Amino acid sequence: MKSTRSKTRRLSLLTMLLAMSILLHMMEPSLPIPIPGVKLGLANIIGLITLYLFGIEEMFTVNIMRVLIASLLRGIIFGTGFWLSLSGVLLSSTMVIILRRYTKMSIIGLSVASATFHCLGQIAIICYLNSTWLMIYWLPIMWVTAVPTGILTGTLAFQVLKRLTKGVAL
Amino acid sequence: MNRSDKIFIAFVLVCALVLYGTMQWFVSSSTTGKTEAVVTYKDKEVLRIDMTKNTSYTVTGTLGDVIIEVKDAQIRVEKETSPYHLCSVQGWVKYANVPIVCLPNHIVILIHSVSVDPNQEDTTVK
Repeated sequence: MKSTRSKTRRLSLLTMLLAMSILLHMMEPSLPIPIPGVKLGLANIIGLITLYLFGIEEMFTVNIMRVLIASLLRGIIFGTGFWLSLSGVLLSSTMVIILRRYTKMSIIGLSVASATFHCLGQIAIICYLNSTWLMIYWLPIMWVTAVPTGILTGTLAFQVLKRLTKGVAL
Repeated sequence: MNRSDKIFIAFVLVCALVLYGTMQWFVSSSTTGKTEAVVTYKDKEVLRIDMTKNTSYTVTGTLGDVIIEVKDAQIRVEKETSPYHLCSVQGWVKYANVPIVCLPNHIVILIHSVSVDPNQEDTTVK
């Protein structure tokens, strides 16, 4: 009985996290950012929270489901925007897991890494889709902007986790 | 933020700087600033024109000779044999993204230059 309740609680929490990440993913394009192609990556906060609260598998599930459902809702599924999001999410999630396992980086550093590799994944797929590697020219600008946005989302995720898991070292 | 985070951030910024420098060097070395016009007949290059010299050139197209004139870093088709003379009507061209196409003669003139007409698109992705 207790196990069933625990499973239901876990499923409910994951569903709520997924819903929040979809919401952040969808509302983000409407935020005014002066540099084209640059986003805050607010949905990344939920990905990091999921990683710290649940684990690797759950983070992957939430991130991929977020891209799938948000693209479906926005009507861009299997379009260019969808592949950009998916490639960014897959690379950033993989790298976050590797860095968390093999380095001593905190949630803020992991957030910066996630933003950095998200940009790399997106630029790689843009180069592939447009058959030109010259889009790499945009990568240094995206990386420079990924550092402050990564610190911002990492700090927000840290503050949320501090309140959710009192006393647990992050 | 711990030491590992700071090292990673520094690494990202250094990578960005190196990549930016490399790309700048690549772009500046690949664009020499010399303006040339390339004339092709049936997709094969037949003439490469130095746009700094004011002179006329003649290439042979499908319907006859095509006379190309260069003046003040601008190029035009002066005379050709075709039903509507569209390429000679087009007049002087000085931008890299404005080609001269003489379809009946299968002649295309393209300027290879740094300057691009700001009012036209420079690339089309299909």
